Amino acid sequence: MIKIEKRNDVPMALYFFTPFIAIILTILGGGIIFYILGFNPIEALKFYFITPISNLYGLSELLLKATPLCLIAIGLSFCFKSNNWNIGAEGQLTFGAIVGGGVALLFYNQEGFYILPLVILAGAIGGMIFALIPAILKTYFNTNEILVSLMLVYVSKLLLDYLVVGPWSNPEGFNFPETRQFSDSSRMPLLFEGLRIHAGIFLALAAVMLSWFILYKTYLGFQIKVSGLSLKTAKYAGFKGKTMILVVFMISGACAGLAGVGEITGPIGQLHRMISPDYGFTAIIVAFLGRLNPFGIIFASLVVALTYLGAETAQIFLQIPKYTGQVFQGMILFFLLASDYLLFFKVKILNLKKNELRH
Amino acid sequence: MATDLRISNISKIYPGCIANDNVTLQFKSGKIYALLGENGAGKSTLVKILSGVVSPDNGEVFLNEKNLKLSSPLDAKKNKIGMVFQHFNLFETLSVFENLSIDATEDNKSLRVRINEIFKKYNFSIDLDVPVLNLSAGQKQKVEIIRCLLRSPKVLIMDEPTSVLTEQETEELFISLKKFCDEGILIIYITHKLKEVLSLCDEVAVMRKGKVVSVSQTQNEKVETLANKMVGQKLAKIKKKINISKNKDEIFKVKHLNFYSDDPFETNLVNLNFSVKKGECLGIAGISGNGQNELFQILSGEIITPDTSIIFRNKEIAKLNPKQRREYLMAFSPEDRISQAAVPELKIYENVALNNFKSSNFFEKGLVNERKIKEHSKKILSDFSVNTDNVELKSQFLSGGNLQKLILGRELITAPELLICYNPTWGLDVGAINYIHETLIKINDQEKSTILISTDTEELLKLSDRIAVIYKGKLSKIMPSEEVTPEKLGVLMGGGSID
Repeated sequence: MIKIEKRNDVPMALYFFTPFIAIILTILGGGIIFYILGFNPIEALKFYFITPISNLYGLSELLLKATPLCLIAIGLSFCFKSNNWNIGAEGQLTFGAIVGGGVALLFYNQEGFYILPLVILAGAIGGMIFALIPAILKTYFNTNEILVSLMLVYVSKLLLDYLVVGPWSNPEGFNFPETRQFSDSSRMPLLFEGLRIHAGIFLALAAVMLSWFILYKTYLGFQIKVSGLSLKTAKYAGFKGKTMILVVFMISGACAGLAGVGEITGPIGQLHRMISPDYGFTAIIVAFLGRLNPFGIIFASLVVALTYLGAETAQIFLQIPKYTGQVFQGMILFFLLASDYLLFFKVKILNLKKNELRH
Repeated sequence: MATDLRISNISKIYPGCIANDNVTLQFKSGKIYALLGENGAGKSTLVKILSGVVSPDNGEVFLNEKNLKLSSPLDAKKNKIGMVFQHFNLFETLSVFENLSIDATEDNKSLRVRINEIFKKYNFSIDLDVPVLNLSAGQKQKVEIIRCLLRSPKVLIMDEPTSVLTEQETEELFISLKKFCDEGILIIYITHKLKEVLSLCDEVAVMRKGKVVSVSQTQNEKVETLANKMVGQKLAKIKKKINISKNKDEIFKVKHLNFYSDDPFETNLVNLNFSVKKGECLGIAGISGNGQNELFQILSGEIITPDTSIIFRNKEIAKLNPKQRREYLMAFSPEDRISQAAVPELKIYENVALNNFKSSNFFEKGLVNERKIKEHSKKILSDFSVNTDNVELKSQFLSGGNLQKLILGRELITAPELLICYNPTWGLDVGAINYIHETLIKINDQEKSTILISTDTEELLKLSDRIAVIYKGKLSKIMPSEEVTPEKLGVLMGGGSID
């Protein structure tokens, strides 16, 4: 007979080490999949995890992709730590991009140092407002935030679709579903000539520092921590539960909005249908792989960004679809959850014979 | 055929708690048996063992002298032991018939015929094709019972069946149960409601702290004798402290406290009015589940009720949340130490910070003042003799007694004018109980007041100056504790009246 028991004392060091185990298992699992598909696993894994970052351009691409993942995951960590399950960051990213992009389009033929800050601010506010919808519905009408935030993703994506083929489409764009190019004043400054990495990375780093400070050094952070561990205790202590839900959703939405605006003012430079390869969903994996810890999230965003890059290289060199990236992301989450289970519970195999004798 | 069920030396130990301690009982068909005990007395564990949900660490179950191996609910089913749990196990969105047919072995047509036979026999009428969510609690319970009857059970176990029923539905249930009994089904009825035992059952076994403390014929019992057995009242006279609080000012006054809940598992409170004087301990007695939880949460501000008036030190505080009430110098010690009063995963000093009042300066301008919190925690640990001085220790490593000392210390170090506590010594060892009792007496000596909600009559008689009893959400008249005897409390706790 198998018996599952909760472990009482889980060492902190091991708690932060299991993500590495998950990553190693993912690589092994990936190797096996490549082998079954008929590739040389060592070679395929090399294309996947080493080739993409073996030059400066690759490293820049890695940071470029890690930036939105990190930003969104930082925001999500506020929600997840306090037991609020916002899984609609993709929608908040899209809506932030729509609002930010709208402001950028207003200034499409103007120059000025003030334009970019305005665009960024508009993006953050857009994401914040969009995240407030599930938060308000949850606090005042008891709806389930998982469903509402998820469904709003499709609302914002359809809205973006409508805007880029309809009212905001480029009048000189031959009916392509895209807006005008933003003016240079609406674009994130590039950090190096010839590489796509842009100033948005500083936003992400600032978010990491700020979130660390809020989570570990402020009363708000304390309330988030307690609410996450026991809602009953939070109520007993008299924390303002509703306000806190609104605040964490606003923080989370603002971060996703920033990520969206970073994409359109960074590498993209306009609005079109495909502004995000599901960064908002993938960031959920990043947040958990990073143990909802700000610095853990930096590391996790780099690892997951690599799966995006690896998938693209593998498509080019091995002719396998780039959607294998999602397979890898799924495996990371799977192995992380599995090793967490073994971390928090021990599996005992009881001696059946002894039991039988008793009866 | 007569049925004979025998439970022999059953023991079940959970970490930190002995749920069943060498329980031996015998049941014979043709009678309705009551298994009586407070929440946590071990009734549910015993029932779970009989229904195969939990396997015992020790002991055996015999049905008609056959040793049963009950390692899953399926085994119980095979051996014709039927079980209706307090929380229904029905699929809300499926129809009644679909729910009944899920684990049936026959085809739908003959199943319908059999269900209709049962309907006729027992005078049931439920539309088989409506979804279960449209049924009342009583009807849902009938569906559960029918599910058992379809398997022609020898034993039918009912776990707290009336907790969600109306009076009318309860009567109907009793009539059905008596019929089943006449047909030779052995019925075991689990409850903490004394009147039901007396009106329905033939024999009663009382459990307390995992042990069977008495087995008797109900005709020889009265509400108060059963109540005393159930809560473990020693009939010896208990030493009371001297009543010091005559002609003192009223510090706390509750008027028109009403609470209505849609949740059938919560108790409604009906027009509670009481007041507490300076330096006084007001005891509120009652068998658990009579509204104590709800009362505590309303007094602490976790639940805000619309038309209630709560005056504390001449201020209306009925609309304030717990944190705001603390600023007026109230303090609260809830029953549930582990998941409400403290968080086991948090360190001691973090748990101390949960009682954050303005003058504490734990959080200055929204920032955590860790140094201040830790200093304050060290003081609590030494003043209240908690057996550690490491404020970084996670609270889960404290024993129950030490955790309760920490919680009381946290609440009392602010020198509150009123402490409201709910079962403060529940599950503690004698040493810790004494320490906490002494602490509570000391508070009153310092002219501070306490409200003690407790299910332990001994504790109430020892500590209270005045006592009231809560029964089904209603409060009895408040009596000076020198006029109260354990017998009187027993009557009131069982829903009787005294004059």
